Amino acid sequence: MIKFLKNIVVFLLITVIIGEIVVRVTHAVTDIPQRTIDDSGIQKYFPNQDGYWKGGDHQWVVNELGWPGELPDSNDNLINIIGDSYIENFMNPNECHQSTFLKENMKDYNFMEAARSGVSLIEAMEISKQTDTLNPKHTLIYVNNNDFLESIVEVKSLSDITQVNLTNNEIVFGKMKAPGAKKVLYTWKLLYYFYNRFPIGGNKKKKKKDALETTSKKDAERKTEHDDNILKLINYIKANYTISNKTLVFHPNSDHMIIDMCLNSGFNVIVLDSSNDSKDWTFGYDTHWTCYGHEKVAEQVSKNLLSNKSISLSN
Amino acid sequence: MLFNSLEFFVFLPIVFALYWLIGGKRIKSQNLLVALASYVFYGWWDWRFLSLILFSSLVDYSIGLSLGKINKPSKRKLLLWISICVNLGFLGFFKYYNFFIDSLINSFTFFGKELSINTLNIILPVGISFYTFQTLSYTIDVYNKKLEPTKEFVGFMAFVSFFPQLVAGPIERATNLLPQFYKERSFNYANAVDGLRQVLWGLFKKIVIADNCAKYANIIFNNHDDYSGSTLLLGAFFFAFQIYGDFSGYSDIAIGISRLFGFNLKRNFAFPYFSRDIAEFWRRWHISLSTWFRDYLYIPLGGSKGGTKMKIRNTFIIFIVSGFWHGANWTFIVWGALNAIYFLPLLLLNKNRVNTDIVAQGKYLPSLKELGQIAFTFFITLIAWVFFRADSVAHAASYLENMFTLSLFNKFEVFPTTILLLTLFFIIVEWLGRAGEYAIERIDFMKKPLRWSFYVILIILMFSFTGEQQEFIYFQF
Repeated sequence: MIKFLKNIVVFLLITVIIGEIVVRVTHAVTDIPQRTIDDSGIQKYFPNQDGYWKGGDHQWVVNELGWPGELPDSNDNLINIIGDSYIENFMNPNECHQSTFLKENMKDYNFMEAARSGVSLIEAMEISKQTDTLNPKHTLIYVNNNDFLESIVEVKSLSDITQVNLTNNEIVFGKMKAPGAKKVLYTWKLLYYFYNRFPIGGNKKKKKKDALETTSKKDAERKTEHDDNILKLINYIKANYTISNKTLVFHPNSDHMIIDMCLNSGFNVIVLDSSNDSKDWTFGYDTHWTCYGHEKVAEQVSKNLLSNKSISLSN
Repeated sequence: MLFNSLEFFVFLPIVFALYWLIGGKRIKSQNLLVALASYVFYGWWDWRFLSLILFSSLVDYSIGLSLGKINKPSKRKLLLWISICVNLGFLGFFKYYNFFIDSLINSFTFFGKELSINTLNIILPVGISFYTFQTLSYTIDVYNKKLEPTKEFVGFMAFVSFFPQLVAGPIERATNLLPQFYKERSFNYANAVDGLRQVLWGLFKKIVIADNCAKYANIIFNNHDDYSGSTLLLGAFFFAFQIYGDFSGYSDIAIGISRLFGFNLKRNFAFPYFSRDIAEFWRRWHISLSTWFRDYLYIPLGGSKGGTKMKIRNTFIIFIVSGFWHGANWTFIVWGALNAIYFLPLLLLNKNRVNTDIVAQGKYLPSLKELGQIAFTFFITLIAWVFFRADSVAHAASYLENMFTLSLFNKFEVFPTTILLLTLFFIIVEWLGRAGEYAIERIDFMKKPLRWSFYVILIILMFSFTGEQQEFIYFQF
């Protein structure tokens, strides 16, 4: 029995080592950059990292400021782009980033991205405080419905996301969730591969999600409550941040109620529309934009920026 | 609980450790552990149906004891029929009730009469066809005095519910498995290593071959109107390897796990796709079911000893019943009947036992004649699988109608190169290992580093090409 168990342990160790090598060589999982929290409470990445996206087709880079993507050659005529995983855009190569496409369409301007997955609207506004020090001509903040709701403690308290407590008007900065476990998971690629490939309780999660969707349908009255909170959030932002040089870029199919509230409160708004495009903007396996999607988004944004007289591109 | 699930990878080492900690000399405690573990294993799926297994065990245990005491033939026969009625009654109700009601309604409608009987919303207990036949084999063998009735209930419970083969076989004979529960089991290194190897090969068959082939078989079968004959033929090919990988994979895992616990189960598959005629195929496919029907149905009916009419009748009965055992659908009945039609010429010409050896034994390649025979047998098996896989007889007929057109020579519309290469790798390994109990049994000729490298490659392939997790097909039977 001892020989049997010993052989099993040795065999498993060898398998794990070889498995780790295979996963690394074939880039079977995406390399995940390490995060940190800066002095202002903003979660960003450790500067100057790079890694491969799943499959190894392209590399991502984190620049010296700790944001994904490359920095512009110059900060003259700068337009900042702030957003979540859509703008972070690890799933596409650098030439498919918003900054690249916008630069192609607006050659007189330079673009800088500051994005991280999970950024809420209020965190985007906090990030803009930092990026405003670069004296940009304008700032684009890409948002969807969730970015509003996730910003509000009263809707749901989320410890890993920066939120605002609208009762006492206080910003609650997000904390990193299980950083130790995540470090192990992202460093031990084979483990991360298994974690991705065979999610623990995957079906249960789906059932829970379905149940949540049913509940949210039942609780239509909650929407009114959410709308009140969103209006308070918009007013809070208006009172505490400069919004005249910022434009909210809404994802396609965003809630019109939220868009109207932003417009009525004096925000510059661009609403993306993919309904007339026969080709899908998103990947088949998730809702993030493909390279084509980013190109189309940038096309609509630059067109709006250049033609919309209410958006000022001068300081 | 599925063998290819995370829960099972936690469950198995725990049961294994407890089992050997108890030690082989404490047989009763080990049997109790096996019975409890088996009930947990089954209850993981649906605990409510544990009562069925328990009831079935109690009935056959009690009847066995009574058969041991009573000598009067009429009373013994009555007891046997009680066991048969109880066991087949459960099976009939859970598996066939709705089928019979639907068929009755359809027959009346055909003759212009409306019949108003409601079907029931019945859940089919997983593995009911397997453990029912296993317990029946016990009662019949005790009745035929081939086996002494057992007095030890826990051991009998463990025999009926033995988790490695509870839900999808192999259907064990009481004469083989039950006595093993009353013998001291000792841990045997070589046996355990061989068991693990068979588990590994079974998992490879299930995860890499069956689940990946299933994806394409489903696409092609579900949209058969959209595809050319060549693609439909490929769809049948995928299903042939799906069902083989799935079911023989399960059997390999079951046999391998049993060996870890010191039990030896009967072989269930013997490389059936290398058969040179359909009779050989049926000696190599789902052996535990074929031999069950042979011993408990075909031979009592007179087997092939009577005249031609009896031979034909018995052949049709055994194949149709075998088809019907698989499921309450006319497709399975047609599948059975078709196999009977394939088999009959060989039986009538006394050529059903021509190919009893291993094909091209000791050679790397078969002769042209053998290759032709294998290809022909595989092809007619494919045709039959279309009925097995189709949703209805009309679906199968339409599938075959679309397949046998000139478009059979068109370019494939679906051609997953990686999956086909993996299947080719699988066929090659099976061919090279066809002299063993399972394909990689005789891998010991390789030196340890090479052998272990091969195992690692199998594991990497499993994790790299994991298809969408599917339940084992035979669970539904």
